[in-house]
Amino acid sequence: MYFVSLTARNVYTRKVRSSLTGIAIAISIAVVVTMGVLTHSLRRTAISILRTGDADFSVAQKGVSDVIYSSVDEKDVDLIGSYEGVENAIGVLVDMTKLDEDHPFFLKLGIPPGDLEAFGVQIVAGRKYEPDSQTEIMLGYRAARDLGKTIGDQVVIDDDTFDVVGIYSTGQVFGDAASMMSLVGVQTEERKPGVVTLVFVRAVEGANLDEIRARIEYDRPELATVRTESEFGRIDRNLELISAANIGVSALALIIGAVSILNTMVLSVFERTREFGVLRAIGWSRMRVLLCVMMEALVVSLTGAMVGVGAGFVAVEILARSPDLVGVFQPDYPGGVFGRALAIAFGMAFVGALYPAARAALLRPLDAIRHE
Amino acid sequence: MSDGAGRPPAIQIFDVKKSFDHGLVNALNGVTLTIGQGEWVALVGPSGCGKSTLLHLLAALDSPTSGRILVNGNDISGLPSLNRYRRFEVGLVFQLHNLLPNLTAIQNVEVAMFANGLKHSEQGERARNLLAAVSLSHREKVRPPGLSGGERQRLAIARALANNPSIILADEPTGALDSASAETVLDLFRRIRNERGVTILLVTHDREVAAAADRIIYMRDGRIVEPSLAAPAG
Repeated sequence: MYFVSLTARNVYTRKVRSSLTGIAIAISIAVVVTMGVLTHSLRRTAISILRTGDADFSVAQKGVSDVIYSSVDEKDVDLIGSYEGVENAIGVLVDMTKLDEDHPFFLKLGIPPGDLEAFGVQIVAGRKYEPDSQTEIMLGYRAARDLGKTIGDQVVIDDDTFDVVGIYSTGQVFGDAASMMSLVGVQTEERKPGVVTLVFVRAVEGANLDEIRARIEYDRPELATVRTESEFGRIDRNLELISAANIGVSALALIIGAVSILNTMVLSVFERTREFGVLRAIGWSRMRVLLCVMMEALVVSLTGAMVGVGAGFVAVEILARSPDLVGVFQPDYPGGVFGRALAIAFGMAFVGALYPAARAALLRPLDAIRHE
Repeated sequence: MSDGAGRPPAIQIFDVKKSFDHGLVNALNGVTLTIGQGEWVALVGPSGCGKSTLLHLLAALDSPTSGRILVNGNDISGLPSLNRYRRFEVGLVFQLHNLLPNLTAIQNVEVAMFANGLKHSEQGERARNLLAAVSLSHREKVRPPGLSGGERQRLAIARALANNPSIILADEPTGALDSASAETVLDLFRRIRNERGVTILLVTHDREVAAAADRIIYMRDGRIVEPSLAAPAG
């Protein structure tokens, strides 16, 4: 008999109790996975907006609840563009609108046609829209394919009809699933004259990006620069709150799971006091007793975690199909989320089993054998 | 003092005292005893005379208040690992067998073999041989609740022999058995002693059981006494 099979057998012997503990852990892990995937996916979606432009970093209004609500004066775009080391600064007005039931979050990017090339846009069919046009639109090739539109067709957005004059590609999935039209057009439509949502900044080769960013934030303290995904919270408070909630939920899951394990293992050790005394009397070391209890907790925890990961996967897929999240929440399953679930499962087992395991290991064999 | 083969006595106890409750209860009052290699000794006395306490000291489950205990010439208070001593030097048999109810008969034997240096397959083979030795081969996959009292005690003896100890310490091994089962267990002890040369110290309050041993030692009030001074056993 292997040591592992002995621990598995001990768990199986108390199957009702082990199952209930496993279910508690599975629920905790399912929540961790669901929140983790949700947060990661929303962050990825949000960051995709920044990555649409072929830029070194982006500039937005600091501390807004959602990046889409950022408001940057067009004069600031010119100012940033005038800084030494900046090759170009492109202001883009981002508008999110409901196209139909299948496309509840469709992006319209207002950008001057003269900046399209610098923005990393390639026209794959048709032409650019006119600078002042309010009726011409270009579709990303994914959007065009999805909507079944081509050059010369019309598309209706918010009761306004637009002529599709071009199909473009950005090399970014998110950008290619959106649309672009003149900045003036979007500003007029959204009643935001002279305002952009984001500024995409490209520096000349060899320029010190940190210096440029520091200067922008010094000159315009109401603005924040973002270069990496981890900095995104500076311009999107909602995502930061979701991330914080995700961490909180993970910590809570760890505590709930650990307490469940603790409860189960304390009871198990108490019931098996005599057994541990006998094992010590026939030569088991304290360490082996400790390992025995810890491994039993680990078996319960990891089994629960496996079920929890499956349940979390199902929950994510259900969420992705909910009408409120279609389009915004496209599930992405990063290894890190599952790694964290695994780490939490290990943590639950370790934290929860440490006390009962130590208690079992420290029993005096003779007292334990006499235990009734 | 050594036997013909130059080996020290299996057990040497020198003026061992053991008290509990900060000296209020004296369980052993200066016990001195020598047991030779391969000898079967019965320790007899009424309840509370200290015989089980002495057995626990020999099993290193407790330590004496004073005095020395040598097993195979080694002072057990100076051993580097009591776990190793319990695993390899002595085999314990309890009155209530203390088997693990969730494990099968063969697993109950194997559980004593963890970390004994044998390969998994060798452990299994040895466990099967021990079950054969105690006539339980046909009950290999049965759990203790499915065994009779005598079978359980034989299984406990097989477990005690798992790591080839030189000494078996048995605390009232027939106390919960009917006379036929008790006789079978005593026969088994006799066979183990004869075939393996194992030293056996058997604690009992039953003089009929004690009669099966090579030598009977009487205890009363924590001391070894002459047979004539021993209280009538129940």
